[in-house]
Amino acid sequence: MPAGTRYRAASGGVRPLWSRSAHFYRLATLAITGLIVAVITRRPEFAGVAAPAVLLLAVRAAQRPDEIGVRARLTASAVTEGEEVRLNITVAGCDDYFVDLVMQPRFAVVPHSAGVQAGASSLPFHVSRSGRRSLGALDITLWDRWRLAEGRAIVSLPRVDCYPRSAALDSRVVLSRLPNRLGEHASRAAGEGLEFTGVREFVPGDRQRRINWPATTRRGQLQLNTFAAQRTQSVVIIADLSADVGEPGATPADLALRGAAAAAETYLKIRDRVGFVRYQRDVNWVPPGTGIRHHYRILDMMLADQGASWLPARETAITRLPKAALPPGSLVLVFTPLLDRRMVESVRNLRERGFAILVIDVLNAEPSEGDRIGALARRIWRMEQQAIRFSLRELGIPLVQWDGTASLDEPLAPYARRVMVTRR
Amino acid sequence: MRARRAAAAGVLGAACVAWSAVPLGGTGGLGGALLAAAAACAALSTLRLLLSAPFHHDEYFGLVARAGRVLARMARGASWAEGAVVAVLVLEALHRSRPWHTAVLGAALLAYLLAVHLGESRSSVAVLRPQVPLLAAGLGLLVLGAGAAMLPAATGSAAGLMAVLAMLAAVMVGCLAVSR
Repeated sequence: MPAGTRYRAASGGVRPLWSRSAHFYRLATLAITGLIVAVITRRPEFAGVAAPAVLLLAVRAAQRPDEIGVRARLTASAVTEGEEVRLNITVAGCDDYFVDLVMQPRFAVVPHSAGVQAGASSLPFHVSRSGRRSLGALDITLWDRWRLAEGRAIVSLPRVDCYPRSAALDSRVVLSRLPNRLGEHASRAAGEGLEFTGVREFVPGDRQRRINWPATTRRGQLQLNTFAAQRTQSVVIIADLSADVGEPGATPADLALRGAAAAAETYLKIRDRVGFVRYQRDVNWVPPGTGIRHHYRILDMMLADQGASWLPARETAITRLPKAALPPGSLVLVFTPLLDRRMVESVRNLRERGFAILVIDVLNAEPSEGDRIGALARRIWRMEQQAIRFSLRELGIPLVQWDGTASLDEPLAPYARRVMVTRR
Repeated sequence: MRARRAAAAGVLGAACVAWSAVPLGGTGGLGGALLAAAAACAALSTLRLLLSAPFHHDEYFGLVARAGRVLARMARGASWAEGAVVAVLVLEALHRSRPWHTAVLGAALLAYLLAVHLGESRSSVAVLRPQVPLLAAGLGLLVLGAGAAMLPAATGSAAGLMAVLAMLAAVMVGCLAVSR
């Protein structure tokens, strides 16, 4: 904060601190230097050089406002990454003064213009990374009409919730064994669904409306249409945010959140029960549920504090999750860069416990090469990473790579085309 | 937009320095030093306008970028335009009397200071509209001063001093009229 300015919270009255402007001092320098040179050299033209500056400095200043009213409001309190939002600012009580507004943005807040000058203004900006973001401060400068005095004040700006931008995802991975709960996925079991599976002989008690008359005519006995049961599935999405490396805005943690947001949205659309596990310093979870409110509960969990990711995660925290958070028979989608050994062990453990697990590898950064030793270290690091992925595949854990730029449908295509067989 | 305003201030500053330095000879070592100082001050004041972008406090910068930012902050804090004005006026005073030349320099210096202010405050030229009558009056006094210097008068220091005092009186009258 510049010295001599006042910092006030949010909207309300602000008392600007008045001082002479830099323009005043420059004009005074021109006037004084011109007059001194004129007297010393006895040359009247230098007094003429000083004259315009002297006249401007001699003007009587207008009454300065002691307090101004500032109101800063956002057009939306929650946005997604990259979405433009506007900060509407109204400055009252400074009728004859020019108002200069400059946003001093905090991390990940990108203003679209340097500043504006008006009584009531709108500052467009976007947030480049998800999270609960403080917008920063608003620097207000008031100028009198002669630009000789300036009043400065700083107002703190409100916070904004920035949700991760969902990746493109239309396809869905469906398990072969689904829990006995009514839903929208056609299961292997026969039931009262809509998907035709075959015909069988009619037995007393069957519905007559389901009799297949062409088949009955061919076989000479009453034949009945059978349908697949419509079931729902439980999907648990694990986002590994323990590694925040690489370019800000495109780190593995960012990709994990975007992928998890897309998966949650896609499965909740078809009324699957979706749970969310956030793996960072601690392990936080939302038990599986359905509906739009549940969707926002998951998004709010994603926005929780993202700091202190270098602190060690609790040992085996995921494997100790209760059944409410990790129901048996659920599909587990893990968005992870596989950089944390505890996470790798947790994935192995979940597989050994019989969960149908699908790992989406979001690692998109590498150590910089640097000198010869650095190049060697990077090679060793790459081999270690390959070994981790190989060992997971050996355990029968499907593992796909997603770089964050392409659609998530591409890596998931082999598993979305047919049902994913659950093996115990 | 910022670059355009800085360019305008830079061009005016360079014009002032060049105009006050012409002709190059006859001012000795002091003239050369003043010319260098004026040019440096004008250039730094223009650079200051270009470097006035706010930066994110949370961002991490490397050592070189950090050193550059410290230098930029120092350059931003100093009064380069004032230094350029003083150096240019003293350089002009080192030359022999040439009233019309000095009057043109005075107008250019005023335009330079206004351009620096507009660049610094990111304002448009329209904000100077209330000042137009005063600027016109001031430029009238500037012409009057140059005219007074060009009038044939008795030689000697007393005559020069009287002309300066007359000019100061005219400026005082203008100030009194303006301040009412």
